Amino acid sequence: MIEQFLYASPMATVVLGALVLMLLANSTLTLSRLNLIAVSFLGLSLILQFSLYGDKSTAFLFETIFGDTFILDDFASIFDMMFTAGAMLTLLINNDYFKSHTYFSGEYFALMLFSLFGMMMLSHAHELLTAFIALEIASLSVYALVGYHKSNKVSSEAMMKYIVLGSMTGAFFMLGTALIYGSVGSTSLTEIANYVNGNSLDNIPMLIIGATFIMLTILFKIGAVPFHSWVVDVYHGAPYPITMYMASTFKIAVFAIALRLYLVDFAPINSFWTELLQAVTILTLFGGSWLAINQSLVKRMLAGSSIVHSGYLLIALSSIGLGSKVAAPAIMFYLIAYFISAAGAFGILSFIDSQSKRQMKYEDFKGFAQRRPYMALMMSIFMLSLAGFPSTIGFLGKFYIFTSAIESGQILLAGLGILTAFISVYYYFKLIAMMYFYPSEEEQKVFPVNISTILIVMMALIVVWGGIGTTLIPYIPGADGFMEIAIEAMSSLR
Amino acid sequence: MMDHILSNIIFLPLIIAMVMGVVQAPVKVLRLGAFFSSVVTLFLVLWLAYHYDPHGGMQFVEQAPWIQSSGFTYFIGIDFLSLIMLLLITLLMPPLYLYMMHEKRKGYWYNMMLLQTGVTGAVLSLDLVLFYLFWETMLLPIFIMIGKYGNGLRQYNSMKIILMTILGSMSMLFSIMYLGYMYFETTGVWSFALQDLATLDFDAQTFIWLAAGFLLAFAIKIPLVGFHTWMAPAYGSAPTPAVVIMSSIMAKLGIYGIWRFGFGLFETTLIYYAPTIIVLALIGLLYYAIRAITEDNLRRMFAYSSGSHLSLIALGIFLTNIYAWSGSLYFIGTHALASAGIFLMIGLLYKRFKTVHISELGGIAGKAPKFAFFFAFFALSIAGLPGTGGFVAELLIIIGAFKTNIWIGVFTATTMLSAMVYIFWMLQRTLFGTANNTTEFSDLNLREVILLLPLVILLILTGIAPSLFTPMFEPQLSLFLQDALHAIGASK
Repeated sequence: MIEQFLYASPMATVVLGALVLMLLANSTLTLSRLNLIAVSFLGLSLILQFSLYGDKSTAFLFETIFGDTFILDDFASIFDMMFTAGAMLTLLINNDYFKSHTYFSGEYFALMLFSLFGMMMLSHAHELLTAFIALEIASLSVYALVGYHKSNKVSSEAMMKYIVLGSMTGAFFMLGTALIYGSVGSTSLTEIANYVNGNSLDNIPMLIIGATFIMLTILFKIGAVPFHSWVVDVYHGAPYPITMYMASTFKIAVFAIALRLYLVDFAPINSFWTELLQAVTILTLFGGSWLAINQSLVKRMLAGSSIVHSGYLLIALSSIGLGSKVAAPAIMFYLIAYFISAAGAFGILSFIDSQSKRQMKYEDFKGFAQRRPYMALMMSIFMLSLAGFPSTIGFLGKFYIFTSAIESGQILLAGLGILTAFISVYYYFKLIAMMYFYPSEEEQKVFPVNISTILIVMMALIVVWGGIGTTLIPYIPGADGFMEIAIEAMSSLR
Repeated sequence: MMDHILSNIIFLPLIIAMVMGVVQAPVKVLRLGAFFSSVVTLFLVLWLAYHYDPHGGMQFVEQAPWIQSSGFTYFIGIDFLSLIMLLLITLLMPPLYLYMMHEKRKGYWYNMMLLQTGVTGAVLSLDLVLFYLFWETMLLPIFIMIGKYGNGLRQYNSMKIILMTILGSMSMLFSIMYLGYMYFETTGVWSFALQDLATLDFDAQTFIWLAAGFLLAFAIKIPLVGFHTWMAPAYGSAPTPAVVIMSSIMAKLGIYGIWRFGFGLFETTLIYYAPTIIVLALIGLLYYAIRAITEDNLRRMFAYSSGSHLSLIALGIFLTNIYAWSGSLYFIGTHALASAGIFLMIGLLYKRFKTVHISELGGIAGKAPKFAFFFAFFALSIAGLPGTGGFVAELLIIIGAFKTNIWIGVFTATTMLSAMVYIFWMLQRTLFGTANNTTEFSDLNLREVILLLPLVILLILTGIAPSLFTPMFEPQLSLFLQDALHAIGASK
């Protein structure tokens, strides 16, 4: 029993941290101090996760009490580490941002930790109602965070849009769960998987419809077209730290539950969705590209392009349905790659915003390379990675995704994916062109050495090393190491 | 140093650039580093050429695992094709650095060093993913150099060149991925090595699609007519060192790609495309020549002239006989030298006049005889003046064309005539004629003569003594051709 508490400790640390931060929110502590407290709780949780990784004596958490509600596997552990690392990065990189924007207060950190707890719970959830509660814990905190700049109209509008649409899709999730409960008589994923395996597809229409409703919720949360209308406005309205958190961390969390559901429990009925998913994928790829091309604000461009990246992930998701072996690790690898690159890009935007507080249009980046050569270099690296340029981790991510599409015989999807990757070169390179091709009136500024900039440099290095790093140099994992992690995570999914 | 000589040649400039970047070297040190890297690589390549066995096939091979989970290997080696390209790259770098001597902008030097690593790597890679990596990364320095240090509509033109070439690379990437996956499906292991993928066999239709992916990339790079809209704007906007690399090396890489990967992977399928490409090349010969005649901007004029000659080389490859092939290979070398020379001259002209428009020039010969001599020499060797290497090469291709078909031969021969037309007319208007604001015109100084002399000597040597150079590639080339013809014959 005592070791069960140990297994629960990473999540418990995060909740405890959230509660402590709520109590401290009105104290006289400065935001930097609160940030430090939040980060130390996250760090503690991360250390616990590392030390417990791979060493699980039971399959389920508190099995005697909760049954098979919470699963303990490497898949969930790796996702937990990614979420925690994502939250830590968000908090540390944006330290300057919190200080320079007066509307932040202590509750912000508590909300961050609550949403992180929801995501961790989501990756462990092995029961539909638990998954729903976890998803809502994460979502509700993020709703509040999106509208955090209360006096700002754009921010409040973004929150309204997100909360109304998000709650509606949450209702779809519940409806799906109800339908599945109606046919299976249980909401446990183990029971559902047994039921699906034990019946032929023709006999379980209600379950299929229920599972489709759940899929709609997931498509909404990752911003797939035609459920994308909120993405650009919400990403734009939210303060940078939250946009960064949503684009990198929250999106991954949704994929955690999606992979668990569709890779394992609903696997036999995947073939039912193939055409539907393919259609959504194509719409997502081109709809997202269209949105991204037409933006003049860099933040909105990144929001639009995040839809395109969801499209690439959907390619791999439909490859899974068609029996591709490499698709599941490919998704995992792509999530890592996208996470690092997008977090880095948003991190730089947030850094600039905390320095100069202007709307960042493409034109505002004119002469940026002259003012801040190092920042411009790192921004270019992140843009190249997002565009899938070789020698960055983003290239390998795309490579695996498209190979999985070829493997499952979806030549057309692979071709369209490559076409949208080509289109994305335009809007990413446009930013590089803006930074480098225009002179600046201002002098070169000193590179500020602090925690946020150091982290950004490290992420840029990881992006490059993840793309070209080889096994020739021992102890530094490189691309192979990331791929190994991805394969390991996927093989533990049962 | 000599154990991993090819890796040293590829990465030396990159490493020096990175070290300079980390220590924030001032521009004088940076310049010294660039010179050092170019001279050292030149000596390494000369050593390599000396120890290269003309009968030996692939040599100095280095193979190491790179990303094992997906079968990417670091696989490089050198044969007659890569050796010629490598010699050209390393021979051109020191003169280019000498030309850039007084350049104060640091980014210029960094980009040139990165560019050298990119093109060298592309020439030596035998793994398709590694090739793709270098093929794409060499675009970045060009993108930055045109957009940042170019002139005219530089931002627009650099976006144009990068988008068009990446469109080609993406289609090539698709073919590479398909080939790699098919190899995995047939053998159960991942590999992207050229020799492994060459063993794959598909039905004719699949081969045609796969070859199309590669050919699109190479056709845009050369560029064949129809894929050329980036060429003149990019050449017109780019700073001189970038133009030299683009016309002398990168355009030839398209040809190199057809040879190495086109014939290496799909020799029989290329016959399917041969009529199309021969027609495109013939149209290109004439179209580019006419555009060159009417062009007033010297950079754009020689861009079109370069397109015309590259069409001739592409034509030579698809004629698949020994005359045309030796001619094409020889022309890769001599045209690279000649176009490097002429673009350097245009650069020197621009430094003095701040214009490259023929209508604003005239009477240079009277003021600056040395300049006029070099300018005329390079221009005439572009036109294929007997006694320069270009003449030998063009003659061989034309003979090859006549061997294939008399009409192709006749069309091909018009390149020499049309080149004479635009070159002589241009020379008449720039060097002679009424003097236009040439009062301030200073003749070439010692540094400029030194940087141009090697090119002149090599062009004359290749022109009067081809037998010095042919033994280096002749045996392997004829073997390669026999293989290709054998495969084509077998498929028929």
